[in-house]
Amino acid sequence: MPGFVIDAQGIQKSFGTLKAVDGVSLQVNPGECFGILGPNGAGKTTTIKMLHGAVQPDAGTLRVLGRDVATQSRLIRAQMGIVSQEDTLDRDLTVYENLWVYAGFFSISRKSSLSRIEYLLDFMQLREKWDSQIKTLSGGMKRRLHIARALIHEPKFLILDEPTTGLDPQARHLVWHRLRELKAQGLTILLTTHYMEEAAQMCDRIGIMDGGKFLLEGPPQTLVQEKVGDEVYELRGGASEELLDSLQGLPVTAEVVADILYLYSHNGMGVMEHLISWGRKDFLRRPATLEDLFLRLTGRELRD
Amino acid sequence: MMLFPQAPSHRAFRVWVRHLVYYRSFYLAEWAGNLGEHILWLVAFGYGLGRLVPSLDGISYAQFIGPGLMVSVAMWNATYESTYGAYSRMRIQNIYESMLMAPLTVGDIVLGDLLWCASRALIGSSLMLVVLSLFGLVGSWWAVAILPILFIEAVMFAALGLIATSLAHSFSFFNFYFSAIVMPMFFFAGTLFPIKGLPLWVERFSDALPLTHAVRISRGLFIYGHVENFIWHFSFLLGFTFLFLAVACVLVSRRMVE
Repeated sequence: MPGFVIDAQGIQKSFGTLKAVDGVSLQVNPGECFGILGPNGAGKTTTIKMLHGAVQPDAGTLRVLGRDVATQSRLIRAQMGIVSQEDTLDRDLTVYENLWVYAGFFSISRKSSLSRIEYLLDFMQLREKWDSQIKTLSGGMKRRLHIARALIHEPKFLILDEPTTGLDPQARHLVWHRLRELKAQGLTILLTTHYMEEAAQMCDRIGIMDGGKFLLEGPPQTLVQEKVGDEVYELRGGASEELLDSLQGLPVTAEVVADILYLYSHNGMGVMEHLISWGRKDFLRRPATLEDLFLRLTGRELRD
Repeated sequence: MMLFPQAPSHRAFRVWVRHLVYYRSFYLAEWAGNLGEHILWLVAFGYGLGRLVPSLDGISYAQFIGPGLMVSVAMWNATYESTYGAYSRMRIQNIYESMLMAPLTVGDIVLGDLLWCASRALIGSSLMLVVLSLFGLVGSWWAVAILPILFIEAVMFAALGLIATSLAHSFSFFNFYFSAIVMPMFFFAGTLFPIKGLPLWVERFSDALPLTHAVRISRGLFIYGHVENFIWHFSFLLGFTFLFLAVACVLVSRRMVE
């Protein structure tokens, strides 16, 4: 039986009085794509930084690729690719030099790094940028180069911290497409994201994090089904007290947010008839999504 | 590995290579600048100011300051690269951070950076050696022996600069570092004037400065082809090199790993 790629037990990290990560346990299987969702400040990036040794846990045990991170972080990093949230490309070097120098950090020979760089620049559609300076690249190109750099040593495990934040839809879809290809090739992936669509498309399992803890964890569709339902009805302009009272007997959960009434339903048939019988036809009926689950779990107040 | 997970290793060479790749894009401009600066110093002080200075122990003022300038150039170069250069790599460009996502340790990065600073300083000083010999100020072939000693001296000053960098929270910290550490080091190491004959406390202060020992070695090699108390001066340099290197590793680790 192959072991877990990540095996975290009760890891904690505080910065001063702030408990950034407060007892996270997590197991990720080989070949799996796991997504960490959470509002800003939930502890996602700190969790990720602990996986590659940039942040040391205060408590708990953490093994990655079968090794203890506290003592063998360097050996783990030799088999792991990391795409950080902030730009860490080397702006003093060209696209090619960035990859060539980075290959050197993994002690890859000059000859094999050249063919690997050619392959990766093709894969990420950056071939024509070979000799470009980093500052001339668009945000999407920089992110693709980041991913190419993280793949230079054919890692077994790829970590991506918000890989598509700030990208335009075209660039985002290209990144998703490439990540799905990598996953199909058997790469284990851990990513954090704010995009529910990204998590739903990419991840076999997700964990929703807030306040340094996982609130919930499992396959995205199953979680939505169990915790939200199949369908959502949105009524703009809200609803009267009488209408709200009349919903008591129906299989729905009601939530009022500002001027919108949300009805989460497990069996939508009766709900639609009911609303129509109350003279309301101005509702939006749509399938329940991960975003509904996310907002219900982490609340709707701003986190900046 | 277990005891010192951030210890340096042969992989420091890969960090050095990264700096060399960058250096290839601007080295000619740097060499031209270095040469111009060296000549300017020598002409302005050695011959300009030197007209007012009587011969010291039978040598001209230009001959006196040449070997001191040689080792000072190494200090200045190593210090610039390990402060402004390293701060930019560590705090602005996140280059250290990207290296720590590859299988490098903080020790690899520190050692690689220091070796790079020293390499660049060695090139600057070698150009000074060329200038000095063109002006006929090198009295002994032994002068070439200063180069390996300069390299060690440059590693030492780069390590000291990196200690400052790990404590800095902005570039303006380096104004303080240069005024409080580097300038006094330059003036009181016996570079531009002899320390002998000044009040005793100045002599003691001078003896405690690492640069003083590099100046003594350099002057001996350049003018007489031998150095009095070489072992003492050399041990002083080597001791401080290892001390600063160890402190730099610890402080940079603290800065990079939370």
